[in-house]
This record gives sequence, structure tokens and C-alpha cells, in this order.
Amino acid sequence: MLEGIFVEGLIYAIMALGVFFTFRILAFPDLTVDGSFPMGAVIMATTLTAGLNPVSGLLLAFGGGVLAGFVTAAIHNRLKVPHLLAGILTMTMLYSVNIRILNNRANLPLLRVDTILTHVTAVSQGLIPADWAALIFFGLVVLAIKLALDLFFHTDMGLVFGALGNNEQMVRVQGVNPATLKLIGVGLSNGLVALSGAFAAQYQGFADVNLGQGIVVSGLASVMLGEFIIKSNRIGMLTLRVILGAILFKAIMYLGRFYGYYVNMTPNDLKLIAGILIIASLAVTNYRRIRGKGGTSA
Amino acid sequence: MKPICRALTACFAIFALIAAAPVAAAEPILIGISKIVSHPALDAIERGIQEVVTGEFPDTRFDLQNANGEISTASSIAQKFKSQKVTLAVGIATPTAQALVNAIKDRPVIFSAVTDPVGAGLIASLEKGEPNVTGISDMTPVRAQIELLNRLTPIRTLGHVYTSSEANAVSLAAIARQVCQEMGITFVETTVSNSAEVKQAVQTIAGRVDGIYISNDNTVVSALAAVADVAKKHRIPVMSADPSSAEATPVLAAWGFDYYKMGRATGRLVVRILKGEKPEAIPTLFMTEASDVDLLINLDVAGELGLTVPDDVLATATTIIEDGQLIKP
Repeated sequence: MLEGIFVEGLIYAIMALGVFFTFRILAFPDLTVDGSFPMGAVIMATTLTAGLNPVSGLLLAFGGGVLAGFVTAAIHNRLKVPHLLAGILTMTMLYSVNIRILNNRANLPLLRVDTILTHVTAVSQGLIPADWAALIFFGLVVLAIKLALDLFFHTDMGLVFGALGNNEQMVRVQGVNPATLKLIGVGLSNGLVALSGAFAAQYQGFADVNLGQGIVVSGLASVMLGEFIIKSNRIGMLTLRVILGAILFKAIMYLGRFYGYYVNMTPNDLKLIAGILIIASLAVTNYRRIRGKGGTSA
Repeated sequence: MKPICRALTACFAIFALIAAAPVAAAEPILIGISKIVSHPALDAIERGIQEVVTGEFPDTRFDLQNANGEISTASSIAQKFKSQKVTLAVGIATPTAQALVNAIKDRPVIFSAVTDPVGAGLIASLEKGEPNVTGISDMTPVRAQIELLNRLTPIRTLGHVYTSSEANAVSLAAIARQVCQEMGITFVETTVSNSAEVKQAVQTIAGRVDGIYISNDNTVVSALAAVADVAKKHRIPVMSADPSSAEATPVLAAWGFDYYKMGRATGRLVVRILKGEKPEAIPTLFMTEASDVDLLINLDVAGELGLTVPDDVLATATTIIEDGQLIKP
């Protein structure tokens, strides 16, 4: 019964890595996510129902997400619009774009279409149960993305990204254009988010234009929870704790549903719990930072 | 390493709790109901199901879950039901039903309030169920509703407002478009993405239409007061598919079923399956019986519009509003 939580946690970890990239590394709080997540889902669903293979769907979804991120970064860079507003603008526009992609529908089922999970279970047939096959598959996918990100952050460009989030002026003095960096960073981040949406659509069996509701919050919660459980400055640990945070967030929400009724909690209260969880993680992390010698901030 | 230790302890504690979660014993019946959001119509379905099923099987336990409008949560709920080994799962509205059908393969899944179950991919045809899937469609009699409006006052151009992100509303709009085409009525449609946009949407089409049709669209129905307000100013008749909201909001007529009755019908279907019927053998049910459908006529609105309602229509009405009084003949 645990596989379900892990699989969901891993799928949303890809999105959380995207949120971590903009929010923590670039210091660019990006709300495009609520639109690029369903965008990945609808691109994937449209590609699959058109008869193309899942891999091209994933690539197209990633590409779509990158474009969405470019739009947000361009609005912010060119028009000097604050991050939050630029993200909200793109997210709003994506609502219409996503319905267009679904050919003026709101929902496209994948229950009778071969998804990447169908292929994974077909390969593992007879060897391991389908749920475990999905778990191993997503474990490998997330691991690959994590290692790719770790490598990326060790390149010259990756290191400049870290610097940009800390001190934009310093980056400028080094002769690097922050606008270009933001364009690339927000683009990559939303590419990851859309990729996560594409996997989520296949896992839950349909794409829906309302899929983005609450995504940014769950991404942020995952990042915060990760910071709560592991204190570190190394990039490998930073990405690892985002993934663990995403799994933990799904697990806690699941627990809320399972044991909530003992304390007279209904499913309607879960959003409040998610909010309190973020605040509590922030408070603990902050307290630790103040108390910590030298005050290393991650 | 210290941080890793802490991480592991935290994770371990959480997952130990999950692993210790009670797995339902085989004996008592446990029914999982997953709805997309807390909403009067969906809550009424949930209540109807519970009443009918506990009437037959008093020991039944229910696990009532709600995704708070977050579609991504629908699959978490499906996973929960799967791990609890519920006897049967009910999905109210399209996305929750889709998530259940996708996750739960080895026990019955009943869908309720899904307008187009074939389009939603839940079943292959309306004639029969799938091995573990069957349910009730909330397809509303679109043609009959438009024909009735056309009888009360001749319609050349019909306006329709619907929510572009609601799967049910989108499929009903397609049917209304088709019906109008067949009846030779010009169809003017406009879409909204939330209830705050409804008033403006109606205003933009009000000058061009002879009547407005509102389908089973949760978002637009919750803003019915805004529709009625604009319609009154422009002296346009409104036909709604939701009689219960029309009791408080002045629209000319409302014809459709009560979601509570639909919940009871869903409950009866659940009972049939608990008693051993195979979902595969049960075709998708529709709320078509006369006792399922309510017709509301508001004579005050008819008077303001200068319309006379034929006696035979009044005779079939289950609710009449006259001089502000609710009359149920």
C-alpha cells in the first residue's frame, strides 16, 4: 500500500525540483507552475490520443513548459514586471492555451490509451507486480533528473545561477546578463514542472485543465519540508531533500486523510493542514538558522 | 551523518504510521465515496447514497473523501481506497470517477453525476458496463428543455453560458448546439472560467438573444442570481436545468432532476451490486423516469415577461411559484 504514496511523491518531486530551482536558487517565486503543470498534462494527453508514442509526448510537454517559462521571464525582464505578477499573467493565459490544446475540451481521458505506464508494466509483466514496476520506473526517472540537475549546477553556468539568486549585482559585475540567466532558469524550471504534469496525467489516467490547482503550494511545501528534515549546503543534498520532501508531503496528506477522523478532521481541513505545515517547517528552519553558529543559509 | 539520520528518523516514523494504518477486515462493508469538491448538488448525492445503502445494509461504513477542487488529489484518494480494500468505490463527478477507475481494477467502481461517461473514458458503451465499472449519468434532457422554452415563447436565437473548464458543461454545450441546429435556432454561446465572470458573460449576449439556456453547470448555476438579474433587465426568459436553485432565484422555468434523487438512484445501484449483480451486466442508468424529473414554473416571471403558460405545461409542473409563494401541487 505504500507504493502509491511513493509513486505520487516521486512524480510530484519532479515538479518540486522545478519549484526549488526558481524559488530557492534563482530567488524568483514563480506562479507559472499552476499553469505549466496542467499544460504538460494536456500536451501529453493530446499527443497520446493522436497516436504518438509517450516519449515524444514527454519531450513535447517539456518543450511546452520551457516556452511557458520563457514567456514569464520575458514579461519580467522586458516589461520590468514583478516576478509574481509575471507568473500570474502567464498562468492566466495558459488556462486558455490549455483548453485550445485539448481542442476546446476541459478533460481528456487516457484510460483506454497506451501510456508510458502501460509499456513499463508490459516489460515487467510476470517479474514484479505492476505497482512496484511503476515505483522502480519513477525512482529511476527522478534519480536521472536529480543527477542531471546536480551535474548542471556544477557547470560554470550552474554556479552562476546560484550566485544570481544570492547577489544579482555581483553577477552583473562579472559581465553576465541576469535577464538571459532568468530566461533559461525559469524556462528549465517550468519544463520540469510540465514534465511532472505529463507523468501525473498518465498516472491518474486523464488530463484536466483544472489540474494546476494547488500545485505551487504543494511544491513549496515539499521544498520547505525537505529543508526541515535535512540541513545541508551541498547541491546533491539540496536536490535530494526536495525529493524526500515531496514524498513526505504526500505521505502527511495521506495520513491526514487516514487518521484525521480520529481528531474530528474532515478532508475539507487538509488545505489548512498543508498551510500550517509550511509555516511550521519555515519556523523551525528559521529558528535553527538563528541559533546555528555562523548562520549558514541554504 | 547527522542530517541524514534525522531525515531517516522522520521518514521512518511517518511511514511506520502508514504501514500500521488499519487494513479493512473482510466482513463489514466499507464504501469509499470520492467527490471533487464540497458543493450542494454533490453533497446531496452523497447523502442520498448513504441513506439508501444504510437502509439495506445498516452496518455499512462510509469513507467520505473530497478533493477540495484539486484534481491532483483525486488520484491520492483513489490510492487510499485501493489500499483500504474498500468493498466498492463511488466517484461523484468526472475527474474523481476517472481516477478511481484508473487506480482500482479488482473491485466495483460506480460513477455518479458524470454527464458523458463514454467521452470520459469510463466505459466503452452506454449499453453495458465494464467488468468492474458502471454508474449513473446526469445527462439532462437538453432537447426537451429547449423545446419547452421554445413553446413558452418562440425562440429564434438562444443564448448559452457555460464553464469552459468543466467537462460536463462542455459536453452539454455541444448537445445544445446540435439541438439548436436541428431546430433551426441560432445558438449564441459564451464561456466563463469562474462564477465571477458569469454576470458579464450574460450581459455581452443579452442584447442578441430571445432566451437563455443554463445547463447542469456547477459554476454557472452557483451564479444563477447574476443570470436572472441581467435577464430581468433585458426581459429575456431563462430556462435552467436545476430546479432546486430556481426555487430561490427567479427564472422562468427549470426542468431537471434533483441531485438528492440521483444520489438515491446511485444508492440503489450500489445495493444491486452489493447483492451480487455484475457491474458488467448493468447499462449506464439515466434519470429519465417522470418521478425523477422536476419541472418548476415561475408564474411571477412569466407575468413580468407577458407570457402565458399553457395549462398542460402547468399540470406537469412539480413546483409553481406564484405571488412569491412556492406551491407544490
